Amino acid sequence: MDSVARRAAGLLWALPVAGCGGVQSALDPAGGDATGIYRLTIVMTAGATLIFIVVTALLLYAIFAPPERRAWLGSRRTIVYGGLAFPVVTLSLLLPYGLLVMRDTDVPRPGALRIEVIGEQYWWRVRYPAEDGQAEFSTANELVVPIGRPITVSVTAADVIHSFWIPNFGGKIDMIPGRINRFNFTAERPGIYRGVCAEFCGDQHARMAFDVVALEPAAFASWRSTQAQPAPEPAIPFLARGGELFRAGGCGSCHVVRGTEANGRFGPDLTHVGSRRTIGAGQFPNNIGTLAGWVANVQHIKPGARMPSYGSFTGEDLRALAGYLESLK
Amino acid sequence: MSGTRTLHVLVMLGGMIAWAVQFTIIYGVTSTLCGRGWADATLFGIGIVQAVIVATTVLAFVPTALVFMGLLRAYRSLEGEDASAATAFMMQAGILINGLSLIVILWQGAPALILPACA
Ligand code: HEC
Ligand SMILES: [Cu+2]
Repeated sequence: MDSVARRAAGLLWALPVAGCGGVQSALDPAGGDATGIYRLTIVMTAGATLIFIVVTALLLYAIFAPPERRAWLGSRRTIVYGGLAFPVVTLSLLLPYGLLVMRDTDVPRPGALRIEVIGEQYWWRVRYPAEDGQAEFSTANELVVPIGRPITVSVTAADVIHSFWIPNFGGKIDMIPGRINRFNFTAERPGIYRGVCAEFCGDQHARMAFDVVALEPAAFASWRSTQAQPAPEPAIPFLARGGELFRAGGCGSCHVVRGTEANGRFGPDLTHVGSRRTIGAGQFPNNIGTLAGWVANVQHIKPGARMPSYGSFTGEDLRALAGYLESLK
Repeated sequence: MSGTRTLHVLVMLGGMIAWAVQFTIIYGVTSTLCGRGWADATLFGIGIVQAVIVATTVLAFVPTALVFMGLLRAYRSLEGEDASAATAFMMQAGILINGLSLIVILWQGAPALILPACA
């Protein structure tokens, strides 16, 4: 009993601490805009807490102190300085501060890298348009960005309203079918972050996340040129068998694998699926086991996802298929 | 009698009325101009949206300032005379309300100087 209570207290204590850092936290800003918003939040929260404490203390004093000692609280001077001058000065400073943060947040910048993201039930289609000599390509559930260069993400949705939110980079923007919204930010330090869908969009809304990978410019350039390549040829017969199962299984009616005949546009582009950190819109680490589990059992692990389960593959075939997917680096 | 009372109440609330009018004009005109794509139109070198906001702010500020100073003067000259308690109270309230309205009118115009129009 005692140990349960102690553990519960420990958990409660850990909660705010755990919520502060990490891959999905507005309290751990990784870009200029996010830092500005974070500072504003801290100033407001700390200031409001301080004022609340002082006012509460004065209130208690007014109630419990002997009349002759609390008389000054009702004096004209207290009212003019504490009740008029103080709020006027505080608000007159806060207003321009807030407006300046607003002005410097989410500003489109020349030379920004353009990325298009389309929200779909329940995953993210990500497109990098062609740019000075670099071919365009599509990927999914992963936003890879270079640090130090402004990014402009144009978002829309294919079916219902979704919302695009990467807490570490500030801003949260609705993805609305038939409308394009833009979100501008610059990543300042390399790292891995997590974005989420922030607008209820159906059964699997809670399993609609994505990875954000901020890379040094050189690493980004090499990632980009690899992504633009068609899929590699299967290197060994086992993988070739997986590729054949992919074709025969009809996966290509929903998925693109550039360089093969698979050209379905309904689901995520799988050309380089093996290079992603996670699958299923940020749900599982990406490895041969989870890939096999996904194919055999999607409807069990993400019920309502727009892909059928393929429960009839033999174990050997499933391994070959998953091996093939994993080899698509 | 009731006619002058109405006038006194209007004067007492003058700044708030000016503020309400300023608010309505700024929001109405800004959304109309931005909706019609006039974000970049200029008037005498300044953006038309900013120009409207600044003009409206001046228009709300000046009369409020006049009422404020008038009330202040009237209240000062009230000393000595034995005005009714109600009159004195309404003057005090009027000075406070109009004085605060002056600040609020400035706050409401401030974004025009800092934020880009229609952003
Ligand atoms: C009816 C269309 C359809 C068919 C057929 C289909 N898929 Fe999918 N697939 C999808 C959709 C839609 C998703 C995204 C689901 C989600 O995350 O909500 C997906 C997701 C995936 C993913 C995860 C991708 C990622 O980056 O998260 C893999 C891997 C995958 N499918 C493999 C296959 C394989 C292998 C086959 C054939 C055996 C196949 N799919 C058949 C529609 C389809
Ligand atoms: Cu969603």
